[in-house]
Parts: sequence; structure tokens; C-alpha cells
Amino acid sequence: MSYLTRTLGNLRKIGIKEYWHQLQYIGDTKAGKLVGVDKFGNKFYEDPEELPLRTRWVDYKKHDYDPAQIEPLWHLWISYGTDAIPSEDPLALTNRSWAAPHHIPNYTATPGAFKTYNTVKPKIKAWEPIAVARK
Amino acid sequence: MLSSARTGASLALRAAKPASAQLVPFRIAAASISSSSRKDAASAVQPHGAHGGLAKRERREVPLPSQEGTKGVVQYALTTLDQITNWARQSSLWPMTFGLACCAVEMMHLSTPRYDQDRLGIIFRASPRQSDVMIVAGTLTNKMAPALRQVYDQMPEPRWVISMGSCANGGGYYHYSYSVVRGCDRIVPVDVYVPGCPPTSEALMYGIFQLQRKMRNTKITRMWYRK
Repeated sequence: MSYLTRTLGNLRKIGIKEYWHQLQYIGDTKAGKLVGVDKFGNKFYEDPEELPLRTRWVDYKKHDYDPAQIEPLWHLWISYGTDAIPSEDPLALTNRSWAAPHHIPNYTATPGAFKTYNTVKPKIKAWEPIAVARK
Repeated sequence: MLSSARTGASLALRAAKPASAQLVPFRIAAASISSSSRKDAASAVQPHGAHGGLAKRERREVPLPSQEGTKGVVQYALTTLDQITNWARQSSLWPMTFGLACCAVEMMHLSTPRYDQDRLGIIFRASPRQSDVMIVAGTLTNKMAPALRQVYDQMPEPRWVISMGSCANGGGYYHYSYSVVRGCDRIVPVDVYVPGCPPTSEALMYGIFQLQRKMRNTKITRMWYRK
């Protein structure tokens, strides 16, 4: 809920600078406990006093942020799949050798974007013109 | 003869283009997020036709428009103009709903209160003349293809296309059917492909965010002179 006293109360807790920052990114004023920071520098917050499904949020490191920048285990936490953060989650201790060693963000619209490629022999044979030099 | 048409501004823009020789190709993506050891794009992406019988050409890394920096006073002024225009564009996307199959149900969920597309300024329009984006949701059959193209042609510029679901992306389940177009990109130019069968409404929303990012990186005032 966004009512004035809540906004002002949170503003008093977090300070004017953080207030402005939050307004630019999440468009709300929230005060919560810093639960953890992931490898990329995304900060994860929690405030159980908020309405359900609004209690956990992330402050992205990058300005051009993207939900795909959240690692899988943090994604599980922020989507309310688990209450334990990745460093304390028993799931993180299980064998995850099948997973990529490093989280791969979305490379759309960068040179790293996926491009389809052909693995079969070309069905057509291109003609390369060879002009015989004049004598 | 052309020089009369080329204003000083556009010449300044030309001069400010970065030299591609000293360009670091993977700059943005590498700076983006990776503390990872993922190999860079140059080695990840296979050059097409390198193994084919076509004439071999040297692969040259060209920066994406979004990766060219801002240089000079003129470009900074125009960047601000672009930002204003892009802000206006990305915060009121009116999609032309081209719901063709089950993907359309997920598209409808996007408009319902749980995902609430209205907060993003997205309102479904039934008329192509009032819409900016076409969301192709579902199997595009051969019979429907001319209609799709006609609706696309009726949309005013600027216009974008989101291809939603496997069937629209590349035929999907019906790829080998005699009556289905193998991807709507054979009919209209597609900006964003949303994978899935059908994609969740969240996936479609993410696709819309990607399209908004594309709009944000569009250089309108700095690109017109290249046409």
C-alpha cells in the first residue's frame, strides 16, 4: 500500500538520497533489511511488514537492468521459492554440476546474442566465376 | 551536388563516428555483468558461410548503434531529444492484437490484473491505424499470412513486431505442416522473439521489456540522415 505516512516513514528511515534512487528504479519508497549482495553487485532487500509478494525486492547494480541478471538461486529466493538466501540454502550445497559455473545474463541486443547457424552441408553449390585473363 | 542537402550537423555526426579499427567489439556486453569467464562474442558466434562455397570475406566487428558512444555537442543535444522521444514511445505502447491461437490466451492474461499491462501504458487496440506494436500470438497459417501483412502495412510508423510463441517464431509444432508459414518473420520484420509454447504472460512481459530496451537505444535523430 502506498499511503503518505508509509512513504514518509520509509523516507525518514532510508534518507533522501536512497529515496531518490529508489524512485528512479522501483518507483516506490521502501525500507528493508539488506539480505545479501550477489556476485554482480545486485542488492537484495526484505521487509516482512510489506504486503504479501512485495516483501522482497532487488536493487540492480546496472542502470540498464534486467531480471535475467539475477542468479538462479537468488531468483528462487526473490520469487518466494525458498526463505533461505543462497549462502544458507541447503539447495546450494547439493550437486549443481549440471548448471553453468557462472550465470549467463540475457545477451539480447549485444554482440553476444544468440545467432542461429547451420550444421549441415550446404544444399546448393555457389558458382564462383573465374575469368580467364585476356592474352 | 549532394552537399547542399547534407547539413553541417550531419557532417559533424559523420566525423564523430568512431573508427572501427580501434574498436573493442564486446565492450558493452563485457562491461555489462560478467564476472564470468564466458568467451566473448567474437569467438562465440560462428561466421556464417565460412564453410560454404561462397566467397570468403573477412569478418569485421561493427558496433551496434547502441554501443556507439556520444561524441560532440551536437550528438549530446540530439541524444536528449532521442531520450524524450523514446521515453514517450516506450511508455505508451499500443499493441495490435494479432491473437491467432492459444498464445493469445496468455496475451490476454497480460492484460488482466495480475500482470496488469495498463500500468506500462499498454492498451490493446483493435485498429492497426492506432497501434504501434503488433503481437503475433499463435500459428500463422498460409491463409492468414496476407491478412497479417496487410494489417502490418496499415500500421503507421514507427511500428514494431513481437513474435510470440514457437509457432510464430518458426512454425513450431506445425513446422512441417503444408498450410503453415514457418515463422512470421517470413511475412513481417520481427523485433522481439518470445520463445515458449505458449510463453507465459511473464515471458511476454519480459519480451515487451526487451522491446522497450530496444526503443531506448534507438537513435532517431542521429539515424535519419543515413536513410
